[in-house]
Amino acid sequence: MTAAAESLAVGRSVALTQRVPFMVSRLAWYALCGLLAVSMLLPLVWMVSIALKGNGDINQLPPAFLPREFRVSNFVDGPAQIGFYRLLLNTVIVTVLSTIGAVVSSMIVGYGISRIDFPGRRLWFALISGSIFVPGIVGLIPLQHLYINLGLIDTWVPLILPAFFGSPIFVFLARQYYQSIPRYLDESATIDGAGHWMIFTRIMVPLTKPVWITVAIMSFQFAWNDYLSPLVYLQDAKKFTLPLGMAAFLSDQAGSQYNYYMATNLLFVVPPLVLFFLAQRYFMEGLGALGTIAK
Amino acid sequence: MRMTKRRRDTILGYCFISPAIIGLLLFVAYPMVTSLYHSFTEWNGLTPAKWVGLENYKFLFTSDPTFWPSLRVTVLWVVISVPATLLAGLALAVVVNRSIRGVKVFRTIFYLPVVLPAVAVLTLWKYIYDPTYGLANQILGFLHLPTSLWLGDAHVALPAILIVGVWSVGGTMMIFLAGLQAVPDEIQEAAKVDGANAFRRFTRITLPMIGPIMMLQLMLAMNAAFQTFNQVAILTKGGPGHSTNLLMYKIYNDGFADFITSPQLGYATAEVWVLFVIVMLVTVVMLRLTRNRVYQGEGS
Repeated sequence: MTAAAESLAVGRSVALTQRVPFMVSRLAWYALCGLLAVSMLLPLVWMVSIALKGNGDINQLPPAFLPREFRVSNFVDGPAQIGFYRLLLNTVIVTVLSTIGAVVSSMIVGYGISRIDFPGRRLWFALISGSIFVPGIVGLIPLQHLYINLGLIDTWVPLILPAFFGSPIFVFLARQYYQSIPRYLDESATIDGAGHWMIFTRIMVPLTKPVWITVAIMSFQFAWNDYLSPLVYLQDAKKFTLPLGMAAFLSDQAGSQYNYYMATNLLFVVPPLVLFFLAQRYFMEGLGALGTIAK
Repeated sequence: MRMTKRRRDTILGYCFISPAIIGLLLFVAYPMVTSLYHSFTEWNGLTPAKWVGLENYKFLFTSDPTFWPSLRVTVLWVVISVPATLLAGLALAVVVNRSIRGVKVFRTIFYLPVVLPAVAVLTLWKYIYDPTYGLANQILGFLHLPTSLWLGDAHVALPAILIVGVWSVGGTMMIFLAGLQAVPDEIQEAAKVDGANAFRRFTRITLPMIGPIMMLQLMLAMNAAFQTFNQVAILTKGGPGHSTNLLMYKIYNDGFADFITSPQLGYATAEVWVLFVIVMLVTVVMLRLTRNRVYQGEGS
């Protein structure tokens, strides 16, 4: 055997001994992920199954995954029963407005705190990030009273207005991301005569797309899901948002119309899902800013 | 006279951050000051508050039959749910931190429960836990394991809520994943060459490097655990007995749910302050304990 062939044979056997455990570990990884995925998805499959069942079938024993008859009409009758479309409209109004508020204000504050040098900015940043840890419940009672006095109770103002003042967690996220953008960009723009507002709108807004999309997704999800604030601030059922309306339906019906409820629930779930899928890439990038937290 | 750049930047800087300053005053400072005052009053929210000094706190600590059970359950909840969700989130993040075909699909599936509205998810789980018609007992029956009353059993209700929390741990996973991906490959490779095994590399390199993220997650998780509300409001209403009557839910009940019949806003505010002081103490202690154990990155 020539030296070259020998080294080739050795090389091949090394590759083989490395490849076999590699294959095994990859198979094990797929098995593990498959198992986890099934346990994550099982409750949701169950939800779809209930949503498709007939009135009698939801109390069938033992419960079956496959409905006896597929009642697609639940997706029409359920929403009609629950008054879904009015709830949906209310929720869309509240969610869209508060998301706009959160994105615009958090990005402006984030720019100011990380790109403009002024005395006191460290202190303000410390105060803002510190307030992340003040429990929201502290504000609930005084703010409810304030809104009552201002005649704003039972309106959507208490659900929308706070977003326009920059949520501390979003300001924090924006600031982390801004830290990763090189300084010379602003410096050369300044030399060219650009002011801060111009640098912010022309340079930073396009550059920070991942972070404002992340903020948008997170605040959309928060407003879409919020249950406690509408519970405290709204009384008129005509103004209810989806979480409140759905919960109210469930406690009224005591679970006897679970198929209607679940069908409507599936519609309730669609907008945040679609949004997440559309913006997933930016979302991951935006969260990546948290990876540079120490710097 | 032209303004100096420094002067102009100061004014502009405060303009840019003014929403946050107003927000802090309006939604943090104002509620804190007024609620501290109200916690020393008897107040129904309709007629003027009556100063009663420490009466609310005295009643809370000595006479309220539900306060101590509620506090005990809250502490228990924080102690079990915070490590459980952090570990589950970290484990999932490690699992999906590979560049391998299909990994994005799994990431999405694991994140899915977080995208879904909490009320939708919780009512789904309420049905899953139904002792007769629910999926949970069906699976136990199928595996020939003893079934449970789930939310109806005082010993099982809290762990049942925890299962829902672990199921929707995708948000924690995503943040850990972002941290794991920021750990440079070269360091891992160098350690591999030096003969460090996977476990050693994880504990000695990865964990210290994601220390800051770990801290942030710990703080957020504790804050969230102390304020757990939706799960209790929708799944158990604090029962059975006081087994899931978390402080946050009790405050809501005392201050808002009984609003029409007997509003006790002053009293509920005193409870808020007890919760607030506990959260702050725990946060400060955690920050102190971990101050020197976290990798701060170069340069700081």
